[in-house]
Formats: sequence, C-alpha cells, structure tokens
Amino acid sequence: MAVKLQIKSRSGRDILPDGLLLPSNATVEELRARFAELKPKYPPSRQRFTLPPREGARSGEALANGKRLSDYGLADGSVLYFKDLGPQIGYATVFFWEYLGPLLVYPLFYLAPRLLYPGLKAPEKSVVQNLALAYWSFHYVKRLLETAFVHKFSHATMPVFNLLKNCAYYWMFAAYVAYFVNHPLYTPPPTRRAVIALAAAMLCQFANFRCHVILANLRPAGTKGYVVPRGFLFNFITCPNYTAEILGWVCFTVATQTAAAGLFTLVGAAQMAQWAIGKHARLRKTFDGQEGREKYPRRWIMLPPFF
Amino acid sequence: MSPKSAYLFLYNTVLSLAWGYVLFLTYQTTRAGGGLQEVWQAVELPLKAAQTAAVMEIVHSAVGLVRSPVAITATQVASRLFILWGVVDLVPATRSSPLVLLRLPLGGGAAAGGSGALQLSLVTLLTAWCCSEVIRYSFFAFKELGMQPYVLLWLRYTAFIVLYPLGVGSELAMVALAMPTIRANRPLSIQLPNAANFGFDYYWACWLAVLAYLPGFPQLYFYMVAQRRKVLRSGRSGSAGKLKAT
Repeated sequence: MAVKLQIKSRSGRDILPDGLLLPSNATVEELRARFAELKPKYPPSRQRFTLPPREGARSGEALANGKRLSDYGLADGSVLYFKDLGPQIGYATVFFWEYLGPLLVYPLFYLAPRLLYPGLKAPEKSVVQNLALAYWSFHYVKRLLETAFVHKFSHATMPVFNLLKNCAYYWMFAAYVAYFVNHPLYTPPPTRRAVIALAAAMLCQFANFRCHVILANLRPAGTKGYVVPRGFLFNFITCPNYTAEILGWVCFTVATQTAAAGLFTLVGAAQMAQWAIGKHARLRKTFDGQEGREKYPRRWIMLPPFF
Repeated sequence: MSPKSAYLFLYNTVLSLAWGYVLFLTYQTTRAGGGLQEVWQAVELPLKAAQTAAVMEIVHSAVGLVRSPVAITATQVASRLFILWGVVDLVPATRSSPLVLLRLPLGGGAAAGGSGALQLSLVTLLTAWCCSEVIRYSFFAFKELGMQPYVLLWLRYTAFIVLYPLGVGSELAMVALAMPTIRANRPLSIQLPNAANFGFDYYWACWLAVLAYLPGFPQLYFYMVAQRRKVLRSGRSGSAGKLKAT
C-alpha cells in the first residue's frame, strides 16, 4: 500500500505540488532519499522534516532516522513541514581542521619568539615550558588520532558555518594560551609541581581515551538506537569523558600557572556541561523504566560530587 | 494590572524620565553658554545612573520578563557601558574638545570655536542617547498600559534613521578622542611578568571593541529599516495591532 504525503515549507507553501508517494511501511531514511531524488538540491543530510505543531506549540516533532513513517502516525494525505538545514559538512572533517590548528599554532609561539614578541629578548625556555609544549602537542595528536580511528560518526553532519566557528574557537584560544605560556617574561611555577600536575593530566588523558573507546563500541555491530553506557567511570557518571577532559585542563592550568589556560578550561567546561546536561536528559527520557524499557540508573552528570 | 506589568511600567517610566532629565540638563547647560566640561559636570550623575540601570534589562531578558534575546540585549548594554565608563568617564580628553570631521568655509572662521564645522562631541552623543532612550522607554511604558500612541510608534521606527548613525558616530568619536591618552598611559592594563602569567592591554582591547562595532551597525540598521516598513504599514489602520518587541 502506498501513502501520499504533502510536503510544505514552514510558511505553508507546497514544495512538491504532486506530493510524495511512498510505501506505507517506508522508513524516514527512504523518505529522505525519495525527497532528494525529486529535489536534488537537498541531499538527505540537509533535510529536516517536522510534524505539524500541536495546539499551542511553536514547532512540531522532528522525524528521526531509524524510525518508520507509521511510528509517527503518518498516513495518506498527512502533512510534513520541510526545512533546509543549509550546506552540511561531516563531523570528521570539522574535527580534523579544528584540532590541526592548535597543533600548529601553539608551537609557533614556542619556536618563533623573536617574530611574535618583537622587542623582547627571548631567554632560554624553562622545563615547564618544554613540558607544556609536549603535553599540548600530545593532546591534539591524540584528538586527531581518535577522530581518525576511534570515534564513530556514522554519517553525522553539521552546517558548514560550524567549521568556521569551531576553528575560530580552537585556533584563537590556542594562540591566546600559547602567547602567555611561551612569553619571554613568563614566570614558571616550581618544576616539581608542574611535573606532578602534568603526570596527573596524562592520567586524565588515558581515562578520557578509555571512555572514548567504550563509547565507540557501545552498539553491537549492525544495531541502532540508544544504549546505556556501562563500565569504567560510566558506572558513576553520565559523561566521564568530559570529566577527564576538564580535569586534564585543570592540571595543565596548575602546571603552567597561566590565567589564559584557566579561562580556556572554564569556557570549555561550561560548553561540556551544557552538552552533558542534554545527554543526561536524553538518556533519562529514553530509558524511563516504563513499559518494559530499561531505567536509567542514578548517576552524576559530569562533575561529582557537585553536578 | 499584574505585578509584572506594574514593575515594567515603573521601570520604563522612571528611565524615560531620567533620560529626559539628562537631555534637559544638556540643553540647559549648552543654552547658558556652557562648554563640554560644564555639560559633563551637569549630567554626570544622572547619566551614569540611567545608563547603568540598563543592566536590569539583561536581567529582565534572562529571567523571561521580556522577550528580547539575552545575548543581544547584553551586547547592546555592554557596548554602552564600555563607552560611558571605559571611555568617557575614564579619559577626560573626551569631554574637553569635539572631534572635528570637516571644517566648512563659512563666515565666522575657526576662531568662533567650531561654529563653521561638522563635528561630533559629548553633546551629540548625549543628544542621540537621550532622544532614543526617551522614545524607547516611553514606548515600552505605554505598552504595559496596553496603549500604543501612534506618535510614539512612528518615532520609534523613524527617529533611529538619524539617531542611530549619530549615536554610533559619536561613540566612535569618543573612542577616537580617548585613544591618544589610552595609548600613552595604558590604563586598566596588566603588565607581565606576574604570578598569574596574565597580561591585558586596554589599548588593543579598545581596538577590538571598535572592530566589533563595525559588522553590527549595518545589520541592526537594515533590520530596523525592514521592521519600520512592516510596522508602520500595518500600524496606521489598527494601532492596537500585534507588535514584536525589539
């Protein structure tokens, strides 16, 4: 049996005058593919379909991949609203460029002080500055390798503008931190403290890496949908990867004793907290313990014992 | 009237009157032959109070008392506070002489003290700020009463055509007048070396702030032009029509 859906723009204009004909058991992916055939300008990743808003609501529920049209009660003559998300770019590409920047920008300040601090005599680098460069580089090499070999993005995309935004954030913060840590007038903290703090930071890096491996292997091959992450720190915290990342940067800040690094830590932590709250809420909503569904266990969101 | 409406009515009325008072002081001092320094002495306290009270607008928007987006409100208020506290109040040079853009070859000559010149000064800044705030706050005060006098509606969507460029121009003029002093004295700056390994250069921060002004100006201006077309076209027939607060 086939159903014919009406596709409208959000201003109510008919986008496909003849409607969209699909088998009644079609999936959301098939809907996207068929729409892209008729409107080649909009590949599936650019499409967003929403149900008509309920009474009083501003916008309706968005269709998610992995579901069927029947899951949303869509039948012959039903209306769907289409939104163009704009040109998209893959997560892996964005990650590559945003992490490559800090890896290249930071050493510039270390290697070319005469160019970047004109008029100041560059003294011999301290042990702390050498270690900081090594740690910083290790961190971003780790992120690049994880992007290439660990993270699973499936086919996730984001708007092209995000590339610019994310790169600006990472590249500029790298320059900001590197400027102060490699400054000719830099005051190093005691070497012993820096060594201990960076060793602790390395432990955080390994913890973060373990979390990423667990997340990458969450779903058994060939399955979809949400799974409750378990094992290691996931038994206590929803987003332990963020916990480890933030503590790593706190250690880096202590090791270098640089306010700019502290600011980078704070801004990053605020952003990660926002993501963590979203993920925690999503997991609790998905695993609500109702109708035979699993109940999401009680866990810290990101930063025990506070949050 | 709900407590929320009553509060917003009071807030907007008080600020509208406060800005009106600043405008009156400016006009009165200038008319009595006072120079820029006398004007500053007369308006300093009420001006600082009225402008700093705008911080409450960020709070209103953050707690959902008004619908305007927090980030935009915060940026607007922050730019005003930067000009008031970080430029005009900080550097007396902004209130000792105007910024002459163009000398006009009119009678009287330069000895008349700028009477033949196109210039921006503390007085043009105050004129632009006061007029736009009196209009804006009284518009919102009446809105809380459920009223929308056409004169105010028209002014709100018309006066900006002149006041907005005059305001931004005067603000940039204040920065231009202050820059030589800031460059020489480096106020509010933190020098390396120090224990936090932190440095801050107010001179460069001012340049960054000025650069941030540039993309915002045409964007907001043309947004307001579009709003004007929309609002004033529908506004005449039914003045109680629905309006988006901007």
